Amino acid sequence: MTFRRSAPALLISIVAIVIAGLTFLSDRLFSGLTAAVEEGQFQLMQSILDTTLRRAADDALARAEIVAAMPSARQAVAAKDRDRLLAEFNEMFAIQKERRGVDQVQFHLPPAMSLLRLHAPQRSGDDLSRFRPMVVTVNRERAARNGLAIAATGPAIFGVAPVRDPQGNHAGTVEFGLNFGPLLDGLKAAYGLELALFMQEKQLREFATGIDPALLSDQNRVGPFMRIHATNRDLLRQLARDGDIAAVNEPARYTREAQDVPYGVLLMPLRDDAGQSLGVIAVARDFSGSRAAAGRSLVWQMCLAAFAIILLAGVVIVVLRGLLLRPLEVLDRRLAALAEGGQGGISEPSDRFCTEMQRLAERAGAIAAAAKGRAS
Amino acid sequence: MKAAAFALALSAACAMAANAAADTSLPTGKGLPVVVHTAVSFIEIVSFNENAGTYKATVDLRLRWEDPRLRRPAGEANDPPKVYRGQPAQARTAEIWVPAVELANQRAKETYSALGLRIFPSGAVEMTRRVSAEFAAPFEVERFPFDRQKLRLEVAMRDEPAGAVRLAFDQSDLDFSRAGAGVALDGWSVGAVALRSDPIAGWYGASHSRVLAALDIARQPGPIVAAIFIPLFASLLIPLLAIWLNRIEDGRFTIETFELINLTVGGLFAVIALNFTVNAAYQPLSAGDNAVTRLFSINYGALGASLLINVLLSRFAVVERLAGRYVQEQLFYVLAWAVPAMSFALGAAVVLVAAI
Repeated sequence: MTFRRSAPALLISIVAIVIAGLTFLSDRLFSGLTAAVEEGQFQLMQSILDTTLRRAADDALARAEIVAAMPSARQAVAAKDRDRLLAEFNEMFAIQKERRGVDQVQFHLPPAMSLLRLHAPQRSGDDLSRFRPMVVTVNRERAARNGLAIAATGPAIFGVAPVRDPQGNHAGTVEFGLNFGPLLDGLKAAYGLELALFMQEKQLREFATGIDPALLSDQNRVGPFMRIHATNRDLLRQLARDGDIAAVNEPARYTREAQDVPYGVLLMPLRDDAGQSLGVIAVARDFSGSRAAAGRSLVWQMCLAAFAIILLAGVVIVVLRGLLLRPLEVLDRRLAALAEGGQGGISEPSDRFCTEMQRLAERAGAIAAAAKGRAS
Repeated sequence: MKAAAFALALSAACAMAANAAADTSLPTGKGLPVVVHTAVSFIEIVSFNENAGTYKATVDLRLRWEDPRLRRPAGEANDPPKVYRGQPAQARTAEIWVPAVELANQRAKETYSALGLRIFPSGAVEMTRRVSAEFAAPFEVERFPFDRQKLRLEVAMRDEPAGAVRLAFDQSDLDFSRAGAGVALDGWSVGAVALRSDPIAGWYGASHSRVLAALDIARQPGPIVAAIFIPLFASLLIPLLAIWLNRIEDGRFTIETFELINLTVGGLFAVIALNFTVNAAYQPLSAGDNAVTRLFSINYGALGASLLINVLLSRFAVVERLAGRYVQEQLFYVLAWAVPAMSFALGAAVVLVAAI
């Protein structure tokens, strides 16, 4: 073992290990920041979706309460007069459907019998109590409610309001159902999110007997779900696969690359008024900005670590060899010359040596002078 | 003379009758705003001029909206749509309301234009315009040559505020918006078309609807790496040679400084020439921060370091005077490997950052 090699090697190794460790910790720290940013993005996505669904449900309920308070509606429901209701509200429904995304309007009689569907006037008199618990509850409790449900013509966001007869007795209910499609398209336009709505196929086939059959085609099947709406079908096909949405009981988050872009994906379970699972909404957002920033940060941290190791290794070498080992080498040569019977003459200047080395050089000079004196 | 006057009067009467029948006002029958579904398909990309920030292409712009005034009687509800092409389509569009959308980033008059119109019994109208023209495309150079660019088409509605006419898109428009099967561009891989709403600010707090259709293209970096990056890394060797060629014996430099300075100055001219050549070929690179300008900076920095090392250590022996001959000797040995190592590490980091 030589000090010349082993001492710098040891010091440089320690420097390299320390700097590598610090770089690793620094990268973990930055990754934590990136994860926090992405977590914030996920929370924002969830908040946007929650707020939008809640507002839509309130909107549906507000419409239902307006109709429920109209004297003509109260009289017609109390009289179970379908023709009058149809004549009174058909045009209103046509306008709401065309312009405002209102998909369904229905009047019910207690406990949950369909009196009139404005969206499908030919179908009435059927009992909804098996798959519309919200209608049953409103008729029983006589208090307005809103929420998600799968109706005969498909899934929607419903607001159900009780209707009283002119004497103030409970006569039935009226509901407004808003289509998911315009809501999801609006979120895409406003926030740049990509969204898809998946509903349980079993429930759709059982309850949504009047749904557009094209929606239940094989190309929309994703595991046990049917894709009812998507803002970008090709992209969301890659981002939300059957394995991802098969067992979503709580909001789930993950990142996945699609079309060469990393996306953050949020899966939100949808439940009806009774807590029964209806389906899943997938929300995706481009995460390329945070991912690229994390990658660039890692590269620059590694580069800076390499710089630090090189600079500190240089300092170690210059100090050990320039201030210690090379002067020692010079003195060693001088002493070797003395030992071999020479005079150990000083050919190199030692005035720039460090103090300790200068003292040693002076000792060597004294020995050389003494040797010269003895020789003479 | 009489016949000519009669013909003139007849044509004037016909024109007045036609004007009376035509209703080109905004279709408010379904309320406002009138929603115009917008889709763009790229049929052909002729060229992409990175220096000018423009591309020449043929695109299909499809607009769909509903005009209840054009609904046909219930008995005709299942009839096929009325289809107009070319001149008849032009004539028909003069009689009905059509959204006055413009391709806001079109640079010059189109070299080709064709119009198709389909009017369905329900009052739904589908208008398709094929346009061959030059369009502006913002060019991002930060990740050059590993960059992806967006060939944009800005479909804007400036005549009416967004409250009156809104450009929108749905799944059908996304399906329509793609690059044609034969679309290719030398040196680039052609990707998908994305649609995005991006309103324009208007007067008095109003905004105007705009849809951006962007064809994603990814540069094939191989040829650029060979043509630019290899010379850049090779030129980095020049200042390093000016350090390596010096020799030190027992703390003394043995090569004359001016020979090494000559080498450094020669290297400076080589880098300047390379810089000039690259900037002439890829003009946008000189304007922004990107991997190429950073590599040039590393080259200039390495030349400066080489100059300083030779002048301060070899010519004026500054370190020897301050700390002794052997410290200078060891410092020189360290710099001989540290400067190249740092230069190439920095260069590699710059390339990696661009590639990520």
